[in-house]
Amino acid sequence: MTDVRLKSFGAYSPRLRISAEEFREAWGHFEAAGVQTKAVPEADEDALTMGVEAARRAIETADITATDIGYLVVATTTPPMAESDLTARLASLLGVPADATTRTLTGSTRAGAQALDAALDAGPWEEQSGLVVAADCPTGSPDSGIEHAAGAGGVAVVVGGDGAGTVRDRSSYVEPFPGTRFRDAGEGATAELGVTDYDRQSFETALRGAVDGLSEFEDADAAAVQSPDGKRPYRVTDALGVTADQIAAADTVSTLGDTGAASALLGAAKAFDDGAECVLLAAYGSGAGANAMIIEGPIPTTCALEGDAELTYPEYLRRRGDITADEPDGGGAYVSVPSWKQTVPQRHRLIAGECPSCDALNFPPSGACRKCHTRPDAYETVALPGTGTIEGVTTIAQGGAPPEFAEQQSKSGPFVSAVVSLDGPRGDETVSVPSQVLTPGASSVAIGDRTEAVIRRIYQQEGVIRYGFKMQPVDSD
Amino acid sequence: MRDAYIIGAGQTPFGAMPDRSYRSLFLTAFERAVESVPDGIDEEDIDEAIVGSLGVGGRQLGLSGPAATEHLGLHGIPSSRIENACAASGYAVRQAVQAVKSGMADVALAGGVEVMTDMSSDMTKYWLGVSGETEWERLTGTTFAGVYAQMASTYLDQYDASREHLSMVAVKNHGNGAKNPNAHLGFECSIDDAMEAPDVAHPLNLYHCCPTSDGAAAVLVASEDVVDEYAEEPVRVAGVGASSERVGLFQRDEYTSIASSRRAGATAYERAGVDPSDIDFAEVHDCFAIAELLAYEDLGFCDPGGAPRLLEDGVTELGGDIPVNASGGLKSKGHPIGATGAGQIAEAFKQLSGKAGARQVEDPTYGLTHNVGGSGGAAVVHVLEREVGR
Repeated sequence: MTDVRLKSFGAYSPRLRISAEEFREAWGHFEAAGVQTKAVPEADEDALTMGVEAARRAIETADITATDIGYLVVATTTPPMAESDLTARLASLLGVPADATTRTLTGSTRAGAQALDAALDAGPWEEQSGLVVAADCPTGSPDSGIEHAAGAGGVAVVVGGDGAGTVRDRSSYVEPFPGTRFRDAGEGATAELGVTDYDRQSFETALRGAVDGLSEFEDADAAAVQSPDGKRPYRVTDALGVTADQIAAADTVSTLGDTGAASALLGAAKAFDDGAECVLLAAYGSGAGANAMIIEGPIPTTCALEGDAELTYPEYLRRRGDITADEPDGGGAYVSVPSWKQTVPQRHRLIAGECPSCDALNFPPSGACRKCHTRPDAYETVALPGTGTIEGVTTIAQGGAPPEFAEQQSKSGPFVSAVVSLDGPRGDETVSVPSQVLTPGASSVAIGDRTEAVIRRIYQQEGVIRYGFKMQPVDSD
Repeated sequence: MRDAYIIGAGQTPFGAMPDRSYRSLFLTAFERAVESVPDGIDEEDIDEAIVGSLGVGGRQLGLSGPAATEHLGLHGIPSSRIENACAASGYAVRQAVQAVKSGMADVALAGGVEVMTDMSSDMTKYWLGVSGETEWERLTGTTFAGVYAQMASTYLDQYDASREHLSMVAVKNHGNGAKNPNAHLGFECSIDDAMEAPDVAHPLNLYHCCPTSDGAAAVLVASEDVVDEYAEEPVRVAGVGASSERVGLFQRDEYTSIASSRRAGATAYERAGVDPSDIDFAEVHDCFAIAELLAYEDLGFCDPGGAPRLLEDGVTELGGDIPVNASGGLKSKGHPIGATGAGQIAEAFKQLSGKAGARQVEDPTYGLTHNVGGSGGAAVVHVLEREVGR
């Protein structure tokens, strides 16, 4: 039913975790059944940065390069901006060509499965590949079941004319169930009326509608069913004709929480990573609609879903911005948006320049060469591999951050600021940059440590999020 | 070119003076400079003025030179503001020397003024941040303390040095500042105080960082053609050197030395015809403790990596071979950004005139001042000479 094949999965979750126990201590109860811990985005993470993390892993696992991608679709219920094309920055951050066909799907937790569905319809492409990215970090009001369950994660699938995976069958179903999980225009937090039986009926009806449209899938090793919490998918085993074991084989909700539009695809990635050869994908979105697919593998998969830092409940509230201040009134150092735009190749993809006179690497490649001090007509641009060594390092103590970083520090605490000598594309030549260094799990950073670049939010000013690279210790994965 | 002389110099106390305007501070510094001229000066002799300031908190970003000098009653003379971050008024003095040496002025006023303490801490951070490399360094979250801390981390990694050496700078400079009535933080501190203070940007703690201050300083520079009217034994500007460097640390070849300081020092020594060993005392730019260690090396008081030994041996203490920051330095005397360089000259003038009181260096002939902008994007060094029996 489609000639498009699946080449790879990549999956990513933030490293921060909070346990159900922390919620119980804070609130006296915990409303997200079946969730033991959940992933929490760091202050500088959002759906876009998580999507980049997942996509990079999928692209590398597929053994293609970003320049091979001709079709890009991204799905999330939590785009960092309600309006402003997400795919433009995603393509730039990944190095996907500017003339790729791009799509954004949002407004439903089944958007991730819809994105894969759309890619299956769009391809195959002659020379190129397609990239499906789903990433989400939902939020609810503090003492709601939605918030207790709300997790974070991203998943990406590379598709194309060849690949190890096939979609044997797929199906879609909609039926109006107004008043199940929803978010009003302009709202940040997702809500639900909490009409429990009605919500369950909506979930079951839509998913059964979609799954009933499929051929047999008795050979499925796992059932990647939408998981708004850790119990809901197990309530529909009979309706879908799956077993609890099949659902458990694609479980991510118990450790990552509700990953919204990424939920079902993340489950599939987890199952394929564990060696599954056939997975039922069953994604649900309130309102209501569902997509179901039978995906045959095995499919090469790279997952980075481990947590390594436990948050207390107050630390969690700080990360969420519930008890922190916004940008201070004093104003910040100012780089206009148009001048920031001029440095996007450097900030997104580490594009440096070689001096035509002395070959020295310059970053950013503009003005006189830092080595020979001549002014070249043009630098020879080169992409740096993104690895580098710490040359000088400090920790900006709490309260000491510049105004533009006060909000980040308020949420995440002291941060490491370093000068890093980035490796050149060949040989010994390096070029130095200032960068924050992520310290997952309270690891420390010392001169000589090896690091690699990741994409994060750098700061936000005038309402515009500035994305760019930060470094993290290389052995931290 | 004819010689230039410092005929008078003065400063306000440095500190927190929220009841003073930048104009009134500058007026006080000017009056003290005028009073310090040994044989007196008619203010109408002043031909030109150059005022250093980072921007006095934005309250008079444009035309702060004329705004200050017209307030003094120096009516109608050419007046301008020079900005080179923390080196603003070191450069103002250099520019006054140029004006005098060139013949365009016989007497020039150089000074600096800053008001830092009457702003919210957010606003202060904003003004402190605008002189770093903005686009990359600042906007990855790096502060000034952060940049100097990065230098310190590299220095401690590369040489036989520890945080204790950084703290020794604080102890020494506070000890000197306690003898200076103009000091912002004129109290002594123990090595324990200076080791145990909370971190600002590791390895730098609070005692490894200077305060931001309010204050003003003024310097009167005269040509050799007219100097006899004002002083019998004036202080000669024996040599001036200045140099620039990449503003961002990451753009430089080395993090354990400030190349602009090295070049400015070498030029000043050459023009003065002296060696580092001829220097009897120095006022160096110790905005952070590591900066004083780097200054010892960049100015040739010791070899690279040798600064900790100078501290251990007390060479730079008052009474040592080369007392450094007898005034208390930026650390204790204070750091009203735009006034700091001229304030160093005022201290050197006082020392060379034998009027430094309890912190007087014994019978000096050559004094050196070293003023750095930002993390080394600009540096200016003056070598001053007490000219006996002119």
